[in-house]
Amino acid sequence: MTTVKKRILVVDDEPGMTRMLRRNLESTGKYEVRTENSGDVAVAAARDFHPDFILLDVMMPGVDGGEVAARLKEDKALQNIPVVFLTAIVKKDETAPTGSNIGGCEYLAKPVKLEDLVACIEKHLGKG
Amino acid sequence: MNTGAQNTVPAPNPLPGIASDRFAAWVEHWRRPRGGSAVKAWLGLLALILLTGGVVYATGGTGFVWVHLMYVPIILASGIFGIRGGLISAAVAGVVAGPLMPLDVAKAIPQDTENWVLRSHFFLLAGGCGGLLSSWVNRQLERLRETHAALVRAHEELKAAQMILIQNAKLESVGRLAAGVAHEVKNPLAVIQLGLDYLTHTVKGDKGLEETVQDMEDAIKRADTVIKGLLDFSRSEQLTLAPCDLNAILDETLLLVKHELTKNHVTVERDLQENLPPVELDRNKIKQVFINLFINAIQAMGSAGGTLGVRTRRQRLTQAQADWGGKASGGFHAGDDAVVVDVEDTGTGIPEDKLDKLFDPFFTTKAVGSGTGLGLSVSRKIIELHGAAIRISNRKTNGAAAQIIFRPGERNRS
Repeated sequence: MTTVKKRILVVDDEPGMTRMLRRNLESTGKYEVRTENSGDVAVAAARDFHPDFILLDVMMPGVDGGEVAARLKEDKALQNIPVVFLTAIVKKDETAPTGSNIGGCEYLAKPVKLEDLVACIEKHLGKG
Repeated sequence: MNTGAQNTVPAPNPLPGIASDRFAAWVEHWRRPRGGSAVKAWLGLLALILLTGGVVYATGGTGFVWVHLMYVPIILASGIFGIRGGLISAAVAGVVAGPLMPLDVAKAIPQDTENWVLRSHFFLLAGGCGGLLSSWVNRQLERLRETHAALVRAHEELKAAQMILIQNAKLESVGRLAAGVAHEVKNPLAVIQLGLDYLTHTVKGDKGLEETVQDMEDAIKRADTVIKGLLDFSRSEQLTLAPCDLNAILDETLLLVKHELTKNHVTVERDLQENLPPVELDRNKIKQVFINLFINAIQAMGSAGGTLGVRTRRQRLTQAQADWGGKASGGFHAGDDAVVVDVEDTGTGIPEDKLDKLFDPFFTTKAVGSGTGLGLSVSRKIIELHGAAIRISNRKTNGAAAQIIFRPGERNRS
């Protein structure tokens, strides 16, 4: 019996990062991963890919993570997809305003251990 | 470290800008003398009056112009002793230049006997006016001295405040740099971490590779610890203040480092004064400071272990404490009510030339990889955010001691 893999969209401007995330998440056998390296195409990719979970970098050139999350929330088809930020900025005073604008999304600090990332994803998928 | 800077105000030049320091010192010495100096001054003035009288007599008597020399001791007396000195010396001079002056010595020296009463009045007038003037000058000098002392104090306080500002500006720059570096380093670190997570599954069974991956994981953890330190340092969030029981916080922190204490054979000498007044603190941040101090103390004592002394007390600040506390945070004065925490170890102490650098970011006396050099910088920043002051010095016997001065009660700090 085959289980349906959950779809995860990873958006980070650093290709090395998205590659590693895809490799790791796919190695668990539980997820189907699509990666994007720009915030500009993130919403379109979400519409196309229909992810169950979105992992977003905060600081990206062009459309940043906060803006992507805001656009997702405006889209009725996408607004219920859980979004978690993966960020190197862990200063709360920098992330909190963005977080509150987009409905207080959770964030994970880089560098993140795979087990912590998976636990976070599972927690959010469990809610859905 | 500066432990006991004297706060004495040097005697000001009473005649700034108009007299040499030497003359000013002379004037200062003979201004309103007391005791033995007063007796000496009076005897000197009397001798001068008699000498002047002698000169007047020898130069032709009171009928000649030399009689005006008598004004010299009168003016001097009024300058030294004020109005009373001027009047007394004028009276003595009047007697010397009058009744005491021989009236008829071989008819050779004419005496101005008719006018001696009038002359004596002039003497009294000169003594009185000189005395008044001298009293006025004296009052001005006293005011000048008080103003000078106040200015010296204000200058000292300004210098201390300026040092704090410069230090804060330096720390802010380092903080901004640290935050930037932390962000740039965290991204590649995250890639390496995920790469290692991936490799962990693929190298299973190969002991050499597993160990290599583990070593790399440890290195990432260490790098991440340094970055966390940098970020802690760069953070300048406002404090979440609440009235706290310092003793309770110290006990909780001791519990947190219990494992380290046991592992390193360190015994705790706890002497916490009961019923301390509450202090407005950010509980977690102050705990972070105490953890830093305890871990530093434990590491300073090495594998042989030793004693960690933790003491609290409420006290009035001594002058020495006010001096360093005032320099560290500004606004501490001798006699201020304070809650003081001492953390002492029995380690080897800190080389004297390193004491001044302890709170500098990235300064560490620990071996490479054992310390980030940020613990004490962060600690001091937290302490200063609380309006408190911290100092680390060597103990007289052995080891080092940290002292923190807190203001008890509620404060209006945003």
